[in-house]
Amino acid sequence: MQEDLTAIVAGVRENAPAIQTRAEFEAYKATISGPKGSLTDIMKGMGKVPKEDKPAMGKLINEAKTAVEASFAEVIERLEAAELAAKLGPAIDPTLPLPDSTRGTLHPIAQVREEMVELFRRIGFSVAEATEVETEHYCFDALNIPSDHPARDMQDSYYLPDDLTVNNVSKHADEKYLLRTHTSTVQIRAMLKEKPPIRIVAPGRCFRRDTPDATHSANFHQIEGLYVDKNVTLLDLKATLDHFVKTIFGPKAKTRLRPSFFPFTEPSFEMDFFSPDLGKLSNKWLEIMGCGMVDPEVFKAVGIDPEVYTGYAFGMGIERIAMILQGVDDIRYYYQNDARFLKQFA
Amino acid sequence: MKISYNWLKNYIDLDPVEHSPEVLQEVLPLLGFDIEEIEKLGPPQLNNVVVGQVLEFVQHPDADRLRCCKVSTGNEGEVHDIVCGAKNFVQGDKVMVALPGAVLPGDFKIKASKLRGQPSAGMMCSSKELQVGQDHDGIMILDQGTALGTPVNDLYTDGDTVLNLEITPNRVDVLSHIGVARELAAKFGLDVKYPEIKASTENASNGDALISGVDVSAPEVCPHYTAVSIKGVKVGPSPKWLKDAIEATGQRSINNVVDVTNYVLHETCQPLHAFDAAKIKGGKLVVRMASEGETITTLDDVERKLNADMAVIADTERALVVAGVMGSVDAEVDETTTDIVLEAAYFAPTSVRATARKLGLSSDSSYRFERGVDPQGVTYASLRAVDLILEVAGGTVDGNMIEEGSEPATITEVAIRPDRVRTFIGFDVSDEEIQTVLESLGLAVSIHSEADGSVRWDVSIPSYRGDLQRDVDLIEEFIRVYGTDKIPESEVVARGISTDDHRIYTVNESVANYLTGQNFNEAFLYSLRDPEETKFFFGEESHKVLALDNPLQSDQSHLRPSLIPGLLDVIKLNGARATGATRFFERGHVYREVKGQMVELVSVGFVIVADQISREWRQREVADFYTARNLCGEVLEIAGTAASKLTFRPIADCKLWQGGQSAYAGDFAKMGFECTAGLLNIATLKERWDISTPIIAGSILMTPKFFERKAKQGRHSVISNQPASAKDLALIVDQSVLAGDVEKEVAKFAKKATQGFDCESVRIFDVYEGTGLPEGKKSLALSMSFRAADRTLKDKEVNAAFESIQKLITEKTDYQIRK
Repeated sequence: MQEDLTAIVAGVRENAPAIQTRAEFEAYKATISGPKGSLTDIMKGMGKVPKEDKPAMGKLINEAKTAVEASFAEVIERLEAAELAAKLGPAIDPTLPLPDSTRGTLHPIAQVREEMVELFRRIGFSVAEATEVETEHYCFDALNIPSDHPARDMQDSYYLPDDLTVNNVSKHADEKYLLRTHTSTVQIRAMLKEKPPIRIVAPGRCFRRDTPDATHSANFHQIEGLYVDKNVTLLDLKATLDHFVKTIFGPKAKTRLRPSFFPFTEPSFEMDFFSPDLGKLSNKWLEIMGCGMVDPEVFKAVGIDPEVYTGYAFGMGIERIAMILQGVDDIRYYYQNDARFLKQFA
Repeated sequence: MKISYNWLKNYIDLDPVEHSPEVLQEVLPLLGFDIEEIEKLGPPQLNNVVVGQVLEFVQHPDADRLRCCKVSTGNEGEVHDIVCGAKNFVQGDKVMVALPGAVLPGDFKIKASKLRGQPSAGMMCSSKELQVGQDHDGIMILDQGTALGTPVNDLYTDGDTVLNLEITPNRVDVLSHIGVARELAAKFGLDVKYPEIKASTENASNGDALISGVDVSAPEVCPHYTAVSIKGVKVGPSPKWLKDAIEATGQRSINNVVDVTNYVLHETCQPLHAFDAAKIKGGKLVVRMASEGETITTLDDVERKLNADMAVIADTERALVVAGVMGSVDAEVDETTTDIVLEAAYFAPTSVRATARKLGLSSDSSYRFERGVDPQGVTYASLRAVDLILEVAGGTVDGNMIEEGSEPATITEVAIRPDRVRTFIGFDVSDEEIQTVLESLGLAVSIHSEADGSVRWDVSIPSYRGDLQRDVDLIEEFIRVYGTDKIPESEVVARGISTDDHRIYTVNESVANYLTGQNFNEAFLYSLRDPEETKFFFGEESHKVLALDNPLQSDQSHLRPSLIPGLLDVIKLNGARATGATRFFERGHVYREVKGQMVELVSVGFVIVADQISREWRQREVADFYTARNLCGEVLEIAGTAASKLTFRPIADCKLWQGGQSAYAGDFAKMGFECTAGLLNIATLKERWDISTPIIAGSILMTPKFFERKAKQGRHSVISNQPASAKDLALIVDQSVLAGDVEKEVAKFAKKATQGFDCESVRIFDVYEGTGLPEGKKSLALSMSFRAADRTLKDKEVNAAFESIQKLITEKTDYQIRK
């Protein structure tokens, strides 16, 4: 019997390393420790072993069993390692081109718009929105733009037919609808809706009836700012706009307020800036926005007392800022959406 | 508005250095008068251009039009052979000669050469060639007394700088040289020298006026009209100073009388009109509304049809002037004129503006009247013109000035508190500083103490400053002249205001970040689209409702109902240019027709080229309907709607979307949002965009109101940590039955069949059609998951529930349980 055990252990030690699959292993294992296996047979024969030989015999069987199990464990370990290796596949080549499309990009105008909104948010402005379809009242009258002002001409603004109703744009009286020519409409809607203090920026799409060329587009984008409270001053306006210019164009940029005229602000200014780091546009005064203190007539139109409140407002073309920042010399590139163009600003 | 520096000097003592044209270029924009362009008039610095004398000339032997001249430039021996094409000189004439080495304007280099075989060492010049005048009809013939050899720049020293100013519409008073002088005087602390008037409104001793009177039947258009008669003028060319001034401001010199009226307009801002008295029929002038259809041929030689809203100045027979806009050819002052009637009047701005606009005719005169000239400036300008006409054209004033109506009143005083100025501007300035600035502008300040101890100023307003009506207008004047450069730099001081960003913006921001992360490039497209496209995709009613009243271009006449067509343009362009980009999105507003009305909606649209357009070493699966549905769901999730609650319905037939391959969920009119996802109509794509690759797209519409919904605060409910039990079931259903409906139905039964525990989910995990199933049927395999809150479920109770679910299915539906 001892020889048998030795032979089984030797057989297992000899055969185990050659086992290649789990099935092979299970089949082989069955011949040893299965119900009809050779080792099992010997263990079954223990009953016939004389009582005095049992301890010695038992010890031998246990030793053989341990040896066989150790061999089997080795096999399992080897097979599992092989299986894992098979699952992993060959080593990767980290330099192969990506088979997936890669991250897209925000449109360059959106990038500039968001940068602008962000810098105003940092100093306490929140974002307001309104519709693009507006009425003459909110686009002109409430902004103190006289009824025969050239901007209101059919030549310059896109109007909607008289008999049309726009379900979600409210009218003041029986005025015409039009596509807003500036984002200043948002000022009016905001001041009608909320009581001061009001501090908003309103980015949005505007429309003018211009023949498209390098600097004109049928639709374009503006960002409007408005701050109304007690004791809002001209000094505050300048501080805010300086913050804007220096954030967008760098600390070396200089600004100036050039007196101008808008019906909805008094005093009114054009803001120019000057930067040494703008390529071809360096060291020239560039006009970037209109601004001023809210005209008392505008306050009256929205029911805010101009004796109690003052405010400032500013508005600028986002494309204009984007073109200066990005060195784009034709506005139409922005609306073609050639991916190679879009990716340049990612 | 062209302002001549030389002309300006008549009204203000400008220092050639301190107030040079270059300084003015810096100062004027900061006073609110931007400079569009700067012109330098007068001769440029020219070397080797000197005075010469034609000693003799002969006809060129080989050229009819040329003469061979001998020209001396002074010193002995300096006789030059010059071939010349001009014929306006005779022997002995003094001329300007450009000698070899000279470079004339336009980089024209003078060299010694031969012209048709004859030597020519120089050129005799016209005034235009030297830029000392406009004459190009022949060479310049100089005064005989001019010394030979004198350089051209010694002879012509009177250069001028013309500043073309952009004047804002509120400042009509600055559309004149005196107006600009006033502004500079305020800034530089100088005085304005107004021209002194010699003429008077009273000349009765000189006889009767040339016309019997003026009838004003339209006083609302013309509240004040004056006419002065001048007899015996000699109409002819203007003297040099007048001609130079007129030409500097970009006008053509016509004759001395007309030039004076234009001069005074550019001097004072008051337009004037001179009639040839002989051409006034019936001996009187009438200011009246035109009759409907009346015609007049204006000075620009265009016959114009008038209507009853337009005022005219007429004689007893016909209209002679469109009031405030332009005169007619019929009453023009010309060389034959000897007697004139000079009109100076105030015309109402709105009337002139409407007339000029309707006629499509803008003149220097209408440009000023429609902005509102000085209502009290009529008499001064008239008399100033009389003085100048007498000076340059002779004649005598006949009779008194005829005056109809009176000067309209203006605001004469505006109150302001100096404290208000300081609180408004936000930095400290003294009362004296404010007062000095206001007074420098000709605004007199009278100081009053109020009962409360504060100080009020009453500021007198000159009639030409109709723009100054309120204290803020005066604050503007102060800051403008005080200098915006003196506003101190400061840090932003902002007290907190707790207003949320509008959700349309924040949602859009997140959507864009999400979609760019999903490899989409953002596109910006036009909101206006083609009318035919609108009709094709959205029908007749949308075509009608989305139309602009006044489109500029016929292919951009309609507001877009969808972002998808524009995105297809982008796909097409990028395909044609082989940029390799396959995913684009846009966020923007779109417009829809609902029950005959327009609705403006917030939209997100995306397109994906669902094809392998580039060869890759490893192919990824292309996008399909479920890709788009997922993206739509994510976008709506960001906007605040649970994607899991969206119920998609298939689209059967649509021109934009491919029937059977696309679906929609929601309804913007009822629920505030709507989305469509799937394959775009392949036939339409081919036909309209010539795109033959399949395009998967998504379009989300949301009403602005949808964004006003408040987000719900999530609440905790205890989650079970007991194990779940799963059961699978296969159902055979009609092919047309929607999986989502089956899921819902089974979930309903499961809810009924479970007591004391839950059926957590019912989810379809396999769809099978084909062999083994009847025609028109499909098999859906569902997995159900059961769980109790407090215990491990026993097989028995799960099996019982499973049994009753199957029983309910059999009883209540047409679904067949697949065994």
